[in-house]
Amino acid sequence: MSFIVRQVAKRADGGDIIRTRTLVQAELTVGRGTDCDIQLADLAVMLRHARLVQITAGKVSVETTGGVPVEVGGKFVTRADLAVAENPTIDIGPFRLSLSPGEDGAVAITAERVVPPIEAADAAHETSIFSLSGAMPTKRRMAWIGGLAVLVLLLLVPLFHFIGEGEPALPQTMVAEAARPVTPGQGFGDGKLSVPTARPAAAGGFAPDESWSSGTLSDAHASLSNNCSACHQKAFVSVTDGACQACHTASALPDHAAPARMAKGRLPDGGVMGAAHSAFNLPQGRCTSCHKEHEGAATVMTVAESFCTDCHGGLKSRLADTAVANVPGWAKHPDFRATLVSSPSADKPVFTRTALAGAREKSGLIYPHDIHQSTTNAVANMAQKQRLPQGADGALPCSYCHKADSDQVRFKPIDMEANCGACHDLAFARDGGTVRTLPHGKPAQVAGIIRDFTLSESFAPRAGVQRLSFDRHLPGKAPPPLPGGNPAARAQAAVVSVFTGKGLCTECHVVTDTGAADLTRRFAIAPVSINDHYLPQGQFPHGKHKSYDAKTGQAACVACHTGVTKSKVSTDVNIPGVANCRECHGAPAKTLLSTTAKAGASCDTCHGFHDGVAPTGALPAGHVQPARVAGRQAAGRSRQTPA
Amino acid sequence: MASKTQASRAMTGKAVTRAPRDTAHEGFLNHKRGRWAKVAITLSVVALGAYLLTDPVPRHNGGTWLGYLLGSIGAGMIVWLSLLGVRKRVIGSKPFSLKGWTSAHVYLGLSLIVVGTLHTGFQLGWNVHTLAWALMMIVILSGLWGISLYATLPERLSANRGEVTQLQMLEAIRTLDRQLDIAAQPLDADDAALVRMSLEDCRIAGSLGQRLSGNYANDGNARALAIIIEKVMTGRRTGRVDDRLEQIEFLLERKEAALAQARRHIRMKTQLELWLYVHVPVTIALLAALLAHIISVFLYW
Repeated sequence: MSFIVRQVAKRADGGDIIRTRTLVQAELTVGRGTDCDIQLADLAVMLRHARLVQITAGKVSVETTGGVPVEVGGKFVTRADLAVAENPTIDIGPFRLSLSPGEDGAVAITAERVVPPIEAADAAHETSIFSLSGAMPTKRRMAWIGGLAVLVLLLLVPLFHFIGEGEPALPQTMVAEAARPVTPGQGFGDGKLSVPTARPAAAGGFAPDESWSSGTLSDAHASLSNNCSACHQKAFVSVTDGACQACHTASALPDHAAPARMAKGRLPDGGVMGAAHSAFNLPQGRCTSCHKEHEGAATVMTVAESFCTDCHGGLKSRLADTAVANVPGWAKHPDFRATLVSSPSADKPVFTRTALAGAREKSGLIYPHDIHQSTTNAVANMAQKQRLPQGADGALPCSYCHKADSDQVRFKPIDMEANCGACHDLAFARDGGTVRTLPHGKPAQVAGIIRDFTLSESFAPRAGVQRLSFDRHLPGKAPPPLPGGNPAARAQAAVVSVFTGKGLCTECHVVTDTGAADLTRRFAIAPVSINDHYLPQGQFPHGKHKSYDAKTGQAACVACHTGVTKSKVSTDVNIPGVANCRECHGAPAKTLLSTTAKAGASCDTCHGFHDGVAPTGALPAGHVQPARVAGRQAAGRSRQTPA
Repeated sequence: MASKTQASRAMTGKAVTRAPRDTAHEGFLNHKRGRWAKVAITLSVVALGAYLLTDPVPRHNGGTWLGYLLGSIGAGMIVWLSLLGVRKRVIGSKPFSLKGWTSAHVYLGLSLIVVGTLHTGFQLGWNVHTLAWALMMIVILSGLWGISLYATLPERLSANRGEVTQLQMLEAIRTLDRQLDIAAQPLDADDAALVRMSLEDCRIAGSLGQRLSGNYANDGNARALAIIIEKVMTGRRTGRVDDRLEQIEFLLERKEAALAQARRHIRMKTQLELWLYVHVPVTIALLAALLAHIISVFLYW
C-alpha cells in the first residue's frame, strides 16, 4: 500500500520542476494546509480538501473532507471510487491529480496546476491597463464606423434617391397658382410682394435628399420640400430659368425689358466675380440671380434695392436711348415726370412725360377744382340741396367724383352722368310731369332735339310745357325768351343758345362754332381726355394712404395734392413730387427705441419688375398698356374718352 | 514608508526639481514666438471684417462670394489639419518641423472656428451641411480640451508617478498579490475567499467610467479590505487577535495604496487620451461629412 506523488511546478522560464515522493501509507490527505500529504497552494483549495484511500489494489476512493466537492470525470462529487487502471483524474481547484498504476502495485499520483494562477497585474497587460485601448473600441474602428455611417446615410442614400428619381411631379395647385397673372397693384405698398403665408405640407413624406437642403424653403414652395429634382433637375447644373418657368409662365411673369436691351443695360460682371460666374456657367440675369431659395419661410421674393440700382444707377451710360432716368437710390431718386395729356382726342389722345415743375395738362375740359371745393359758394349750396355727401368741412368731398377702383390703387374713370349729373343735369324743359334732358356726349343729337322741340312749340304749342333755365346761379328763374321771327330762326337761336349760352355745354367744354349750314354739325365740342394715371411707371396704392400725418379723408388727399383747393383751371397738375413721398418713405420713425423707417423705401415699394416691357422713346398715343407685352394692368388703365 | 513618501510628493505637486537646461524649451504653443497664432488671428480678423463689411441679400450664407471663399479656405484647412496624423508618422521630414506643423495645426485649427462658422452665415438646420459644421466644432473643441489637458496634466502625472514606471507599478501590485497568496494559505475558507476576492476580483483599471471617476469602491480589493478590517477590529475587541488576519490586512492596505497610485496615473492618462478618441474618429467623420456637403451642394446647385 503506497503512493508515488509527483508534484509538478512551472519554472519562470517555462520548464517544469518535478518533485517525486513515495509515501507508504494507505491514505493521503490533500489540501492547502502544510500538514497535508499533497499540498496544493491555492486559495481555491481547502485547507484539508480531500482524502484518498487505497481500498484494494488498483482501486482508490476519494472523499472530500472540507465540504467542497471535487471534480471527477466532469462531475462534482463528494465521494467516488476510482479504478487506477483507467487513469482517472481528480480536479481540485486549479489542480489536477492524475492517477495511474505505479511500480509494485503503488498508485502514482501526478499533481499539476492546469489552470494558470491569476496574475491580475500582468506585465503583458500594461497597455490595456494604462491606455484607453483596454476600455474603448480603437480609434481606427470608431473612425471607420463614423465615417462610413456619414458617407452611406448622407451621401450614398440621397445620391441613389436622386439617380433613381423619375420626372418630378409638380403639385397641380402650385402650378395653377403660379400661372395666374399677378393683378395690378397686388402686393405693392409695403415693400414686399405678397407671398403665401400658408405653408402647405409636402405630400409623400420624407425624401433622403432632404438632408441636402441648405435651409427652409419659402412658404410658396413648401410643398416641394421633398421634391428636390423639381428645381434641381440636372446634377451639378445650377437651377435653370426653365425650372422656374415650368410653373411661372412667361405670360404670368413677363420680361422686365426686351432681353437684348436688358443684356446691354446690365452692369457688366467683371473682375474675379465675372470670371467665376463665367467659369461655372452662372450668367447674370437668371431667376436665381435675384430670387434666393432655401433662405427661410418668407424670403424667396426678397430682392435687394441694389439689384435694381445695379442697372438703373447708370443705365443711361450703357443704354443711351433709354427713356428712363438714372436712379442711384431712393435718396437720389429723380423727381417724378408726370405723364400728361398733351393732346386730347376722342380715340387717340397724346401723352407726354413732363417735369412736374410748371407742368400744364391739356385735358380739354374746363374744370375749376376750387369752386367745387368751397364750403360757402353756390356749388356748396347746390350740393346741400341735392343732398350730396358732405366732407368733414362741409364741402363736396374728393371721393364724390374720385371713386376708388376695386384694387384701391387708383380711381374709376370720371363719368359725367354719375359724377357731374346731379347738378349739371342737362334738363332743358318741363313737359307735363316729365323733365326733358339732353344726352351727354352727343352734340348732333342735342342740336336736333332742341331744334325739333323749338319748332314743335312754334307750330303747336302745348299747355304745361315750360323751358328751363340752364343758369345754375339763379335756380327756378325762367329762361330769357327766344327772339321773335320765323320758327326756323327761333329754332336756330335756341340751338345756338344751348351750345354757346351760359350754364350748359360751355360750363365745361370748349365749343367751336364751325358755321356749318347743317345745324346739327355746326357746333364742335373740343375733345376731352381725362388722365387716370399720371405716374404709370410706378404704383401708388391710394387705399394704403387714406391717412397722412394724422389727417384722414379729404384732408389726407389735400395734404399731398396741396394746390387742388385753390386750382382755378384744369390745366393745373396737382401731382406731388418725390420729396413728398420721402416724408414717410425712408424717413426714420420718431420713436425712442426704433430706428426703422416710417415706411418702406425699397424700389419694389412702388415699382414692379415683372410688369412687362416698358415703352421706349417718345410716348405714343395710348401708350400705357398696348405697348406692354402681356397686357397686364389693362383693366386699370382704360382711356377716358371725351364726353 | 514608500507609499507615504509618494503621497507627500503628490501633495506638493512637484516630483523633482527641474534640471537647468542650456536653452529654454520652446513648446509648440509659442513656436517661433507664436508665428502661427499671428497668422490665425490675422485670418480670423480678415474673415470677420469681410463678413461684417459685406451685406449680401437676403442673408449671409455659404452661397455668397464670401461664403464660397470662406468655404474653400475652410475645406482646404480641414484637409490640411487632418494631415497632421500623416505628418507625425513621417519622421524627420523637412523643411517643416513637426513642432512647427503642430503649432500651425493648433492655431489654424482654432481660426477655423471663425472661418467655418462665418461660412455658414449662422444658417443652421438639420442637414448634412450643419452636420459638417457641428462635427468640425466638436473636433476643434476636443482639440482645445486636449491642449488644456496637456498644459496641466503631465506635471501632475509625473508628480504622482514619482520615479516609478508603469511596469514597476504593476510589479508592486503583483508582488503584493503573491505575498497575499502566500499569507492566506493558512486561512480557513471564509478568510481565504476574502483574499481571493482581492486577487481575482480586482481590476486595476476597469471601465471608462471607473477610469475617469476614480471610483473603485466596489472593487474586490476594497471590499476585501473593508471586511478584513472589520474582522480584525472585532478580534481586537474580543482580545483574540489573529496575527494572520492582521498580516492580510496590512498587505491589503498596501495593495490599496499601490492601486490608488496606479489608478491616479490611469485616470490622468485616460484624460490625456480620451480627447483623441473624440478628436480623431470625429475628424474622419468630418472628412466624410465634408465630402457629402461639397458634393451635395454642387450636385443640387
